[in-house]
Amino acid sequence: MSLEGSSGSGGSQVALVTGGYDHTIKLWQAHSGVCLRTMQHPDSQVNALEITPSGQMVAACGYQHIRMYDLASANPDPVMNFEGVTKNVSRVGFHEDGKWMYTGGEDCTARIWDPRAGRQLQCQRIFQVPAPVNAVVLHPDQTQIMVGDQSGIIHMWDLRTDKNDQLIPEAEASIQDIAIDPEGKMMAAVNNKGNCYVWSLGGEPPRPVPRKHIQAHSKYALRCKFSHDSTMLVTTSGDCSARLWKTSDWTLLRELRHDSQRWVWDAAFSIDSRYLFTGSSDSYARLWDVDKGTLEREYCGHQKPITALAFKDQAV
Amino acid sequence: MATYDNKIWLLKNIRDAFIATDDTGLCEIVMAGEDFSKIFQNKAFEDRKRIREGRLSQPSTSKGKEGMGDISEDDDEKEIVTQFDPYPDMEDSEDDDLMCGSYIRYEEFGGHRQRSNTAQWLDKKEQALKKAAKIKVIKWDDTSTQLTTEQMTEIFSRMEVKKPEKFKSLLAEQMEKCPDLPHRQYLEYAKFDGTAQLGLPTKSFKIFMTMLPEKHQNYPLVVCVIAHAKIKDLIGFTCYKYSIEHPEITLGSVHDYGLCIAEDDGEVDWAFPCLDANEPCSKFGFTCLGLVDLKSKHYFTHAPISIPEDGMLEVFPKAAESGHSQHNPSRHNTGGSATSEAVRKAINAVNEERRGQESELDKIQSHLIATDAPQYKTYRVHLLRKVRTNTLVQLGVSLERIEVEPLMAHKHAFWSKSKYFRLNIDSVAWCQILEAKATKTTFRIVHSPTHNSGYLDRSNSGNASFFHSNTAYKIYDFECEHDTAREIVDKVNTILDLRNSPCRREYKTSKDKKLQTRRSFHTRHLS
Repeated sequence: MSLEGSSGSGGSQVALVTGGYDHTIKLWQAHSGVCLRTMQHPDSQVNALEITPSGQMVAACGYQHIRMYDLASANPDPVMNFEGVTKNVSRVGFHEDGKWMYTGGEDCTARIWDPRAGRQLQCQRIFQVPAPVNAVVLHPDQTQIMVGDQSGIIHMWDLRTDKNDQLIPEAEASIQDIAIDPEGKMMAAVNNKGNCYVWSLGGEPPRPVPRKHIQAHSKYALRCKFSHDSTMLVTTSGDCSARLWKTSDWTLLRELRHDSQRWVWDAAFSIDSRYLFTGSSDSYARLWDVDKGTLEREYCGHQKPITALAFKDQAV
Repeated sequence: MATYDNKIWLLKNIRDAFIATDDTGLCEIVMAGEDFSKIFQNKAFEDRKRIREGRLSQPSTSKGKEGMGDISEDDDEKEIVTQFDPYPDMEDSEDDDLMCGSYIRYEEFGGHRQRSNTAQWLDKKEQALKKAAKIKVIKWDDTSTQLTTEQMTEIFSRMEVKKPEKFKSLLAEQMEKCPDLPHRQYLEYAKFDGTAQLGLPTKSFKIFMTMLPEKHQNYPLVVCVIAHAKIKDLIGFTCYKYSIEHPEITLGSVHDYGLCIAEDDGEVDWAFPCLDANEPCSKFGFTCLGLVDLKSKHYFTHAPISIPEDGMLEVFPKAAESGHSQHNPSRHNTGGSATSEAVRKAINAVNEERRGQESELDKIQSHLIATDAPQYKTYRVHLLRKVRTNTLVQLGVSLERIEVEPLMAHKHAFWSKSKYFRLNIDSVAWCQILEAKATKTTFRIVHSPTHNSGYLDRSNSGNASFFHSNTAYKIYDFECEHDTAREIVDKVNTILDLRNSPCRREYKTSKDKKLQTRRSFHTRHLS
């Protein structure tokens, strides 16, 4: 079984998946707001969700497991279960061709997994850091993984040489999330003080050069993500808002707030960078029109906070 | 259990089995009440003691017994069966072994036959294994071999980073094709969906949309909600589900609907009131329910439901206007709130049919009023008040009293602290229609608090009182649809004439006097 899948495109071309504290993962029809399916994520909250490059499956990481669900079938149970980790797995992601999967977790490691089990060649790699890992992100050139930890260090793990470099943007603040823009030119990281740091990435292998420090939120920042056209950065926070920043001059483009919205745990852009999904502790996911700043859709069905979401758009 | 006729045994079994699924509520009484089995056991013990003492005092008649050896006191005790013994060897209740008792445990319901715990455990194990067999497990292997440099370069090769092209998004396209959706106003109820829950108890209902035109009533909507959802949540979720399946039909506000018990064929049982909106639906044992429009006067007159000419649609905006809607404004149905032409036609057709039958009905009507008048009946009307906002109330009229119960309780609104109040029918002096406006008719009930003996008048919402001779009269003005107003006034007057109370006579005479003085004043002037 490989990540690429074989049975064509997984049902809908557009998929929105949410997960959280209620031990379920929901697949939504993004444009109508109707919940299509509910999948079971037993014994654990969902820390992060990622749809495979083929769009066939979604990976959910939680306590001691990374589970893969088939988006095309009606099966509420996972089809693959990765185990052998002793603590929470905080992030999951994929090689752009689905060759391997990477994770980071509270056991102070980042790992490379080979989902193509049963083959002769087994590629498995582990990268140990001194503190629990909160964030991992793969550079678009597919050779560097940025690992952000609880002690505030960003480790740049070069997969070809196993060498690593470190960045410490702020002392005594834990790194909560790291993002690299699709062009591979910028890297952003947010911490638990609400600060956002931006670097320019240049050279081969990419070297970070400090570019900007934004006081993005007054409280805990949770996520940061670049839009597909690299013109925007979204940061989400425990201050109940998501904020959009212009990458041209790092000014605040928009603040997305709603009366009932609580902590905003995760966010995802549409492929045309026009829409943004957010998931919040009030158990609603929301769809915003970025240009107008209007709330376009709400997704209601979770019994408890939404802590992770993944969105796959289709280019037309 | 039903085959046992021993009362004490049954009482004990109900207590110990702790069955709470009984609709009659009798089990609850047994469980909440005193432990009769214990009481009986004690009585049996005392009885036995008495009998034994009686035996000891009398010389034994059966000598043969002694020859069989010593009989211990315990054995002796067991042999004596009193009228209070449930069964000869029913043991003490508390420390019974669960496995061998006659207990019916809740989790074992559902199967045809009670299975042993081992069998169940094996079943569960087998199912888990089957499930697990479908899940491919990939374990982290610490002993995995190192990759060669070639393999490393192959798997971790550098990819060219291309500047992403400008894409048009399929989501954006779908969003344009699908503007606002009717189910959005019920979105908050989506979380009660029982089919989307794993591990939570759920409950399924067949709901007949009786407030819709007949052609939409053929099939019940099967809804499954989580068991702790309240009836109002069930109503909301039903609207949510229906509007997803039938986006062309616009439904009203959730607060205007109620759920009534219905037959399998969708016939609503009007003998029962709507299920209490604040009760959890797990409390009710009925699975067939009819969704009814509480605003429709037919709900109160128990006649087949007719739809207002302009459709049911006006209901929702109106509710929002009057501030009864508790919806978040962003979840309002902002898009096409106009009825689709097809629905409008259907509504007209149904009403046309009804109108044809109306002339015949008129003849029977007057007769019905007279015979029906003493029967208790409720109406939805607005209580008019001069200073404060009008409140929607339920007006109940019976042979004994008139009750006014506010329907929308704004807990936090300071301006509408209206309370339930009732008027003794013998303290009601007058009832008449005041004026008929374009859509509504106002009518007045005149009441004398001094005659309201026996009833605690908790009302503070009367909007005027005036003195007339020695009696103070309070007036209450109401507003509702023409037909309902006429019906209420007719009903109240029929009852008042029937009772002909001193209060009414007094009011009538004083009114007549007033008229006369006015007339005499006029005639005097004219002459």
